[in-house]
Amino acid sequence: MAGQFGFTCRLRICWPRHVPVDGLRRRLSAQNDKLSMILLLRPFFFLLLLVVAPTISAESRVASLNLCIDQVLLNWVAPQRIASVTWLSGDEHYRKAPLPEHVVLNRGRAEELLRLHPDLVLVGQYGAQRAAKRLRELGLRVVDIPDAYSLAQLVQQLDALQQALGDNSALAAQRRRLQQLLAESAVPGGASALILSANNITYGSGMLESQLLERAGFENLAARDGAGQLRRVSLEEVVAAQPDLLVLYGGDDEFALAHLAERHPVIRRYVDSGRVFTLPAELGFCPVLVAADVLQQLKEKRESLASKSSDRHQ
Amino acid sequence: MPRSLPIDTNNLALWLLALALPLALIAALVSGPVSIDLAAALQQGWRGDGSDAVILWQLRLPRALLAILIGAALGMGGAAMQGMLRNPLAEPALLGVSSGAALAAILLLYYGLAWQSGWLLPVLAIVGAFVAVACVWMLAGRGASASRLVLAGVAINAFLSALMALALNYAPSMFAMQEIVFWLLGSLANRGWDQLLLALPFILAGAVLLFSARNYLRALSLGEASAASLGFRGHRYPLLVLLGIAAAVGAAVAVAGTIGFVGLVVPHLVRPLVRQDPGRLLWASALAGALLLLLADILVVNFVGAQELRIGAVTAFIGAPFFFWLIVSARRGQGS
Repeated sequence: MAGQFGFTCRLRICWPRHVPVDGLRRRLSAQNDKLSMILLLRPFFFLLLLVVAPTISAESRVASLNLCIDQVLLNWVAPQRIASVTWLSGDEHYRKAPLPEHVVLNRGRAEELLRLHPDLVLVGQYGAQRAAKRLRELGLRVVDIPDAYSLAQLVQQLDALQQALGDNSALAAQRRRLQQLLAESAVPGGASALILSANNITYGSGMLESQLLERAGFENLAARDGAGQLRRVSLEEVVAAQPDLLVLYGGDDEFALAHLAERHPVIRRYVDSGRVFTLPAELGFCPVLVAADVLQQLKEKRESLASKSSDRHQ
Repeated sequence: MPRSLPIDTNNLALWLLALALPLALIAALVSGPVSIDLAAALQQGWRGDGSDAVILWQLRLPRALLAILIGAALGMGGAAMQGMLRNPLAEPALLGVSSGAALAAILLLYYGLAWQSGWLLPVLAIVGAFVAVACVWMLAGRGASASRLVLAGVAINAFLSALMALALNYAPSMFAMQEIVFWLLGSLANRGWDQLLLALPFILAGAVLLFSARNYLRALSLGEASAASLGFRGHRYPLLVLLGIAAAVGAAVAVAGTIGFVGLVVPHLVRPLVRQDPGRLLWASALAGALLLLLADILVVNFVGAQELRIGAVTAFIGAPFFFWLIVSARRGQGS
C-alpha cells in the first residue's frame, strides 16, 4: 500500500502540476536533441525518485476529523502519512488496525491540527464543522468526505476518498470488489431475515443494512412490514416472524443491557441451529470498511442455509 | 351492624385486590405486540415449539411473574421500612438498598466487565444492596434509634448517589452512559426465567425474614420504649428487617434496575385497608405492589413508540400525582 502512495507522489514531483503531461511530451518531441539525453537519464531519475520517495510521502501528511475516516486511514493508508485521528480511535472498541505511535489523537479542535501542519485534513459530512471552517480560513487543505447510508453512497464515498488521497491500491480494490458484488444479479429472496440490533432496534428498507440483506438474496422482514428506517422490534415479534436468518448487530462478548435480548433463551434456538449472522459493529460507524466483506459473507450464509434446507427436504 | 361495615369494606377491597391480580396476569398474558391464540398456546404446553407457545411460556409468562415478584418485593420492602422507621415517607431507597444495588450494577456496566455466566450483574447488585445496608448499620451503631438509622441511611444514600453521578459524569463512552441511564430507569424487557429464578430465592428469603419480624413492627408502632418493654429489645429485630429488605429489594433491583415509588406509594394506599396494622401491611403491600407493577408493565408492553417505555418512568408518573393528591388532601384537612 505504501509503495503505491509513494509512486503517486513521485509522479507529482516528476511532472509538476502546472505542466500537463501531453504538453510536456510535445515540447520534448520538438527538442529531439534533448530527448535522447532524457531517455538515457530516465533510469537514473527513477532511482533518484525511489530514494527520495519515503521523505516525500512522509511530508504528505493527512489528518482526520471523523471516526470513519480515521479507520480508513489506519487500515488503508501508509502509517507515516497519518498525522492525526480523532480521540475515539484511541479506543479499541472502534479500532481494529494498530494505532501508530506518532499519530496524534485530536478532539476536533482547529488548534490541535494547526500545530501538526498537515497537508490534508479530511472531515466528515457532520461533526467538527467549525474546526474544518477555521482550518480552511487558515489556509489548510480541508476536504469533505460524504457519509454513506446506502450502497450507492458507499461507492460515492470511496470515490471521494480516492480523489482526496490520490491513488491507493486498497481503496481501489475495495471499490472494485464492491462494484463487482453489486453488479452480480441479486438472487430472488428465497430466505427471510430480520435484524435484531442493540436496544431491540431493527432496520427498514431505507437502511444500508437492509440493502445488504436484499443484495445477498434475503427478504428483510422489517422492510416487508413497511419499516423504512429504524424501528423497535420486540422478542415476541422476532419469534412470531420466524425469520430464516436472525441478524444480530455488533455486541461483543462483553455484557451490555442493550444486547440483553440476544441473550434471551428464545434466541438460543437460532444460535444452536446456525441461523444467526452477526454484523460487525464497524458497519454501523464505518460501513466502507466492511460492506463488501459483509455482503460476501451474507451471500455465503444464504447459500449455506439453502443447502441445509435442500438436505432436509431430501 | 353499622360499625362492622368499614371492616367488611376493607376486607372486600383486599379480596378484590387479590382477585384483580390473576385477572391482571391473564391481561398480561394476552397483551403484547403480537396477537397469539392463548388457548392453543396453553394446549401446546411448556415445551411447545410453535411461536404462540414460545411467546406465552418463554416471554410473557416469566415477564409477568417477574413483575409480580418485583412489585411484591418493593411493596413489602416499603411497608417494612415505613413500619420500622415509623415514617410514612420511608422507602427502601432511603437506607441505600436500591442505590447500593444500582451502584454495583453501574460499576459493572461502567467497566464493561465480561459477562461470565449471565449471573454476574444481578449477583453483584444483590451484594451491593447488602453492603449498603451493612454500611448503614455500622454507621448508625448498635441499637440505633429509628431517627439515627434514617440519618445514617440518608448519608449512605447520598454518598452512593454521588458515586453514581460521578460514574455518569465520567462514563467512558456514550454507550456506557446510555446503559447506566437505562438501568436507573428500570425495565422488565427481555427478561426470562433465568432472571426470575435468580431473584426468587432472595425475595422469598427476604419475605420470610420480614414476616418473621411482623410482631416487632406491630410493637414498634407503639413506640421504641413500648416495643422494648414487650420484649423486642436489642439489635436482632432491626437487623432482621434490614436483611429482609436488602434481600428482597436488592434482588428486585438486581434483575430489573431501579423502579421507584412502588415502595413508597403502595403502603400508603393499602394502610387504611389493614387498619394501620404494620404486620398485615406487609402482605397487603406485597399484593398491591405486585398488582401495580404488573399493570404498569402491561402499559409498557402496549405502549407504541420508537423506544421502549421504561417501567421506572411509568411508576414515577403514578407516584408523583399521588403525592400531589396527598398534599391537596392534607391541605383540605387543615382547611376543615
